[in-house]
Amino acid sequence: MNCNDLTISELARGQMMEASLRDQALVHAASCRNCAIRLADERALTEGLRGVVTEAAGSEAPLSVEAKLLAAFRAQHSENPAPVAVGKYSRRRWIYISAGAAAAAVIAMLFLLSGSGHRVSPPSVPEKADVSPQAVPPARRPELSPGTNGVPAIAEQAINTPPAHARRTAARIRNAGYTNRESNNATAPIADPEIATDFIPLMNRESLTQLDGGQVMRVELPRSALMSFGLPMDMERANERIKADVVVGNDGLARAIRFVR
Amino acid sequence: MITLPTTPSDMDLLRLMLAGDEDAFTTLYRRRQGGVYKFALHMSGSQSMAEDVTQEVFIVLMRDGARFDPTRGSLAAYLYGIARNHVLRRLEQDRLFVSLGDSPEEVDAICVGMIAEGDPLGDLTRNETIQELRHSILVLPAHYREAIVLCELHEMSYIEAASVIGCAVGTVRSRLHRARALLVERLRASRDRNSSSEEVNPARCFA
Repeated sequence: MNCNDLTISELARGQMMEASLRDQALVHAASCRNCAIRLADERALTEGLRGVVTEAAGSEAPLSVEAKLLAAFRAQHSENPAPVAVGKYSRRRWIYISAGAAAAAVIAMLFLLSGSGHRVSPPSVPEKADVSPQAVPPARRPELSPGTNGVPAIAEQAINTPPAHARRTAARIRNAGYTNRESNNATAPIADPEIATDFIPLMNRESLTQLDGGQVMRVELPRSALMSFGLPMDMERANERIKADVVVGNDGLARAIRFVR
Repeated sequence: MITLPTTPSDMDLLRLMLAGDEDAFTTLYRRRQGGVYKFALHMSGSQSMAEDVTQEVFIVLMRDGARFDPTRGSLAAYLYGIARNHVLRRLEQDRLFVSLGDSPEEVDAICVGMIAEGDPLGDLTRNETIQELRHSILVLPAHYREAIVLCELHEMSYIEAASVIGCAVGTVRSRLHRARALLVERLRASRDRNSSSEEVNPARCFA
């Protein structure tokens, strides 16, 4: 019998095999060093995968999921079904998530269209662009309230921060009558303080157009998005979600983004 | 005459559920939610996504359960298929920011080149191996990952997995083989890294 990785793999998985084929594979593995090593590695992998199965044996959906589903079931089969906010997100939240996904799609399109030259590289990121609490100036909720000329203070922070085209971006935001949904209620209660990076511009000088208004959208992105902007990221937490504020003009184009914690 | 209680089949429960039997729905949900949840969890690595997907799967079942055709496969495979579609759609949305690549060169470079997190100087205990393996599965491209998850973690046969994925049995077999090869390379690289970092410092004998 010749070296056959597929047979070795199935042998290691303990799959049902024709007895003669199994015997041939074992005899071959005993005489072929590479196949012997391969078989040992595959068996170690199989054992590891069984460990993963054992570790997850007790995992199941929380009781809240069952409760929501039962509510939906009853609503579906009742005589006068009432609209039920099924799922984790309310309708309004789905609108926010859809808008965030649209903003993310715009960001990706900008990267694809602009090519490598406009990708945000580490040198263009402000020195303070670091999500670690020690390096980032705190961004508190009061900064979302209207600042000078109705521009939220967070945008003013971007105005005062190099690099030069970030300053111009922020200035355009200011001059264009930038608005923020959350600044509509200046007396909104202050939530727990948040920590955020500076705003990172998403468009280069040549692509910037005059803003005629816009808004900041709070979105959730995978933590791995930090890598796309040249920010450090813990690979262990790549699949976690991170909040971000995206400045979106009335034309639907995303102008800048910052990450929030 | 003694009548032995029989466990209702998935089809029986589905039929009753569609007729409005809440107990039947609850029984069916409790029987199948664990597998659906774990599948979504293994594919995404996210508990919140797994919860959402589990809920969405059974919402779809409530709404479109009458469309299930038992001649095409089991109800479990049907539920896994719905879960798979939802998970892949959610992961595709996240793909805007993380591209793992599908070409063999890209996959090899990513899966073998990624540094294992944790203490490289410490012993690779079984628990650490499991954690690293879970992480390694999550960074596999989706079509390799689902083959590993269905066939290895959920112990489905090639036929069942092919039914869930909607591809040929041979495709499942080859993807699984390739996925295992990638995982073996990563574990091997991690083991070699750990063994090379454990330098033996000869000590003088003062006896």
